[in-house]
Amino acid sequence: MLPWQIFEYNGSALVAMVGKNCFAIASDRRLGVNLQTVATDFQRIFKIHDKLYVGLSGLATDAQTLYQRLIFRHKLYQLREERDIKPETFASLVSALLYEKRFGPYFCQPVIAGLGDDDVPFICTMDCIGAKELAKDFVVSGTASESLYGVCESMYKPNMDPEEQFETISQALLSSVDRDCLSGWGGHVLLVTPSEVQERTLKGRMD
Amino acid sequence: MALSRNWMYENNGGTCVAIAGSDYCVIAADTRLSVGYSIYTRDYSKICKLADKCVMASSGFQGDLKALQKNLAAKHLIYQHQHSKQMSCPAMAQLLSNTLYYKRFFPYYTFNILGGLDSDGKGCVYTYDAVGSYERVGYSAQGSGAGLIIPVLDNQLKSPSPLLLPAKDAVTPLSEVEAVDLVKDVFASATERDIYTGDKVEIVVINASGIRQELMELRKD
Repeated sequence: MLPWQIFEYNGSALVAMVGKNCFAIASDRRLGVNLQTVATDFQRIFKIHDKLYVGLSGLATDAQTLYQRLIFRHKLYQLREERDIKPETFASLVSALLYEKRFGPYFCQPVIAGLGDDDVPFICTMDCIGAKELAKDFVVSGTASESLYGVCESMYKPNMDPEEQFETISQALLSSVDRDCLSGWGGHVLLVTPSEVQERTLKGRMD
Repeated sequence: MALSRNWMYENNGGTCVAIAGSDYCVIAADTRLSVGYSIYTRDYSKICKLADKCVMASSGFQGDLKALQKNLAAKHLIYQHQHSKQMSCPAMAQLLSNTLYYKRFFPYYTFNILGGLDSDGKGCVYTYDAVGSYERVGYSAQGSGAGLIIPVLDNQLKSPSPLLLPAKDAVTPLSEVEAVDLVKDVFASATERDIYTGDKVEIVVINASGIRQELMELRKD
């Protein structure tokens, strides 16, 4: 197996979008080993605190390990600062954590989405060694990233309200994973607004 | 290098899209011709009219593309002399498949879509791989931007499974104007993320009244 194929070992699709004072983050639910599906209820989106979520595409084992380290670091931050971390700061933390392993990286491409001060939405993605990519519209990652780019580029519009955004991100996710062999089996969608968080599960094609 | 024959090929990029409707067919391709990070020209037509109701859009290697167009034109001329009529679109589709497969072990490095009207006047789209495997579909995209465009077309047009019995019609429910607008939208989107797609999109519409062509400007970066 070539090193870069490790990103395709389990298969994944992740997308995050910015709306009007809110954001949505969505992932597929498949966990596979190459072409064989192992689980159909896999979680790739993790909660850091009420207004901050991180999605980890790529190798599932590294995603879980990285998640544990991120939780650990956030707890230390909370103890020292007595407050929740800001999304921008958290993105720098993830980036630093990844770059620590510059020559033996975690095979993950994270997507970070959160509400910052004054509930301004923040989304960001980075490569497996921590090069940040801040976007003001949408970010994608995983094996279905090409499809997601195409679909999001067509469907995204600025300042969507939460319900409109749910429809958009769900359509984008489902259309994309249907053209990717390694991701699919439905999806998780998280809609985060200043007042509440809605978590919804999507049904999708089972092939 | 001596062992591989890759030096005989180049990838000049480009994206083609086609949509079939009940009484029309829309075929489109961008006009950028590039290699690597360079652009050769911003004004190269990848669409070729093969018969009265049949056009082909191709991407891939420009050299093979030109050779293929010439080859098909010559074969169509012979057909016209022998049969005293224009070739139908389904016939041209089979001919294109045979022509591609004839070079199975030294292929034309082209990714084609054939569009037109069948003998009933219904829109038809045929999509190909480089060695002649082909299928009649309701819509298709080929070339460098296909991965970006296909899921969008799936979302908007949804094709019935070819496994369904009785067989369902693959043509799209859209009107001609809506189909042309959709093509413009998907090209504008693909141009944002694919460096090999851009400059202009050439859209050819075939219906009962003939062939119409239009151009739309795309991003040039």
